[in-house]
Amino acid sequence: MDEKIILKDDLLRICGDVIDKGHILLCPVMNEYSIVKDFSRIKLDASALPAGTSFKCYVFPKTEPVLYYKRSKSDVQLIDVNIDRKNIVILGAKPCDANSLNIMKHLFNWDYSDEFFNLREKNFIIIGLMCSHYDEYCFCTSVDSSPVSEKGSDIFLIPVDENKFAMRIITEKGSEFISPYAEYLKTGDENISKQITENVKLPKVAFDSNEVYEWLGENFESPKWEGIGNLCLSCAKCAFVCPVCHCFDIVDEDYSYTEGRRMKNWDGCQFGNFTMHASGHNPRDIQSKRYRQRVNHKFRYYVDKFGEILCTGCGRCSRGCPVSIDIKEIVSNCKD
Amino acid sequence: MNNIYMPHLAEIKEIIDESPDTRTFRLKFKDGDTADRFEFKAGQFAEYSAFGDGESTFCIASSPTRKEFIECSFKVFGKVTQALHRLNRGDTIGIRGPYGNWFPLDELKGKNLLFIAGGIGIAPVRCVIDNVLDLRNDFKDLTIISGARSVSDIIYKQEINVWKDRTDIKTIITVDPGGETPSWDGEVGFVPAILEKTAPSPENTAVILCGPPVMIKLTIPILTNLGFKDEEIFTTLENRMKCGLGKCGRCNIGNVYVCKDGPVFTYAQIKRMPQEF
Repeated sequence: MDEKIILKDDLLRICGDVIDKGHILLCPVMNEYSIVKDFSRIKLDASALPAGTSFKCYVFPKTEPVLYYKRSKSDVQLIDVNIDRKNIVILGAKPCDANSLNIMKHLFNWDYSDEFFNLREKNFIIIGLMCSHYDEYCFCTSVDSSPVSEKGSDIFLIPVDENKFAMRIITEKGSEFISPYAEYLKTGDENISKQITENVKLPKVAFDSNEVYEWLGENFESPKWEGIGNLCLSCAKCAFVCPVCHCFDIVDEDYSYTEGRRMKNWDGCQFGNFTMHASGHNPRDIQSKRYRQRVNHKFRYYVDKFGEILCTGCGRCSRGCPVSIDIKEIVSNCKD
Repeated sequence: MNNIYMPHLAEIKEIIDESPDTRTFRLKFKDGDTADRFEFKAGQFAEYSAFGDGESTFCIASSPTRKEFIECSFKVFGKVTQALHRLNRGDTIGIRGPYGNWFPLDELKGKNLLFIAGGIGIAPVRCVIDNVLDLRNDFKDLTIISGARSVSDIIYKQEINVWKDRTDIKTIITVDPGGETPSWDGEVGFVPAILEKTAPSPENTAVILCGPPVMIKLTIPILTNLGFKDEEIFTTLENRMKCGLGKCGRCNIGNVYVCKDGPVFTYAQIKRMPQEF
C-alpha cells in the first residue's frame, strides 16, 4: 500500500483544481452530499454523523429518463439518452457510503448491464474518510465493515491532526487521480496512521450476520413479522435513505400529445402496490410480508445471489424511521 | 450506449378479438435486422410498450417455429392493457425481450405431454402446443385440457379448431358451470374436475400447466393423486414486473427472480420456495 501525508490546505487546493477542471465535487455539507463550488465550505470532519442521505442519487438518480419517444399518426420514433459523463469526485465519503457502489454493482450487472449505472460509476473517484463517531444506530461492524474500512474507496484519508491527513492510495483509479498532484504529497508513515485507526472506537458488533442469515431461512413464517408489520407505516423512507436499496419503477410521462419520455424512478418494497398484479392479487398484501421481504432481501436473498449483504450498517433507515423501527434491533433480537 | 431499457419497434399487422376482453396482436418488427435476429423459446416473455402509458409483461404466445409474426395476447385489466387495446392495425408498439427461461422441450422429447390451461393461461401453453405440433414426431401422445369461464370467454378459437380437427391430439375444452350456451358441445365443469374425469395416465408424461392461481392450487392435488411427479409438472409464475431484467426488485419469491430464474418452474421447485405467491 502506498501511504502519503497531505496537508488539509493542499487537499483543498486539489479540490479547487478539480472544480476548475469542470469535474463535479461532492462533499458532505450540512446534512447531505452536495455539489461544492466553493471549497472553503468543505469541513472534512471525521467525527460527523453520516449525512442524511448517501451519494446514491448521483449514480442512480431518483428519477431519470431512459428514452424519449415521439408519436405521429401511427408511427413512433425513439430517441436514446445521453448520460452526462462528467467525472465526479467524492471527498470525505464515510466508509459506510464508500462501499455502497461495490455492493450495488452486482445487481446492475448480472447478465444485463445497466449502463446508466455503469457509466456514472466508472467516472466516480471516491475519497473516503475514516469515521470516528458513531451513534446508537450505527452498526457497520456487524455487516463486514468498520469505521476504518477502505472498501470502496479509491483513496482513503485518516486525519493525523487538525491540519493534515494520512492518505492511502487504494486503487489504480485513485493513483491515476492523485498523480498530477504529487508535489503536495509527502512520504507518510504507515505506523502512525495505523495507530490512529487502531484507536478508533468501534460500534459494538450487534449481531452475527451468518446467524441472521440462518434464522431468516428458518423463520419465513414468524410472529415477529406481524409485530413489525403492525408498527410500520409503509412510507418507504428507509428505502430512500438507504445507500444500497435499488428497486425502481418504470413509467411513461407524456409532456405533450405527441411527445414524452420513459422514466426510471426510485421505488420502495414497502409500498402496498409494489407487487400488486393487474388482477388485484398481491403476493405481499400486508405490511408484515413487505417488511419480511426487506430484511430477507438485505440479509439473505442478496447474500444468496451475490455473496454480499445488502446493507452497509449506516443506520440511516433506523435514524430516520418515523415510528422508530430499528433494523439493527430487529435482526439482533431475531432469536429472542 | 447499450440501453437495456430500449424496446424494438413493431407494427401491429393484425388484431384478433379473442373474447370481449382479450385481444391478440400479430406483430412484425419494423427493422428487418431485429426480425431476423429475434430468437426465443417457448415460455419466454417480453415487455410490450404502449408509448405514453408504459410497459406490460406478457408471454410470447406464438411458437418460435413460426417466424412470420410475434404474437401476444392480453386481457384488458390495467392502464397499459387499456392503452394497448385502443391501438389499431398499423399502429406501433414497443417490444423488449425475449426474457426469462423456457419449457425444456428438448428434455421432454419422447414423452407424452398433457397440457392444462385456464383462462388467459392458455397463452403460454399455446406457444408450447404449436411448437410441439411443428415437431410432432418428437413427442408421443398429446392431450389438451383447457377451460374458460364461459363460451364467449374461450380464447384462441381458431387454434382450438385446428387442434380439434387433428386426430393426433386429444383436445378437451370446458367451460365453468353456468358458462355454457345451448349449443355448447364441449365439457361443462371446472378444469380440476374435468382432469379428474379424464384421468390421463402419468406414465412417461409431462404436464404443462398454466392458469389462475386458484386453478393451479386445485389442479395439483389431482395430478398428484393420478400419480404425476412434482418434477414432471411444469408451470409458469406470473409476478408483477417492470424491468424483466432482474433489477427492479418486485418479482422475486425468496431469492428466486421470476423474470430471470423463471417464469417456467417445476412444481418441485415451487414447493421449495417460500410460500409468498
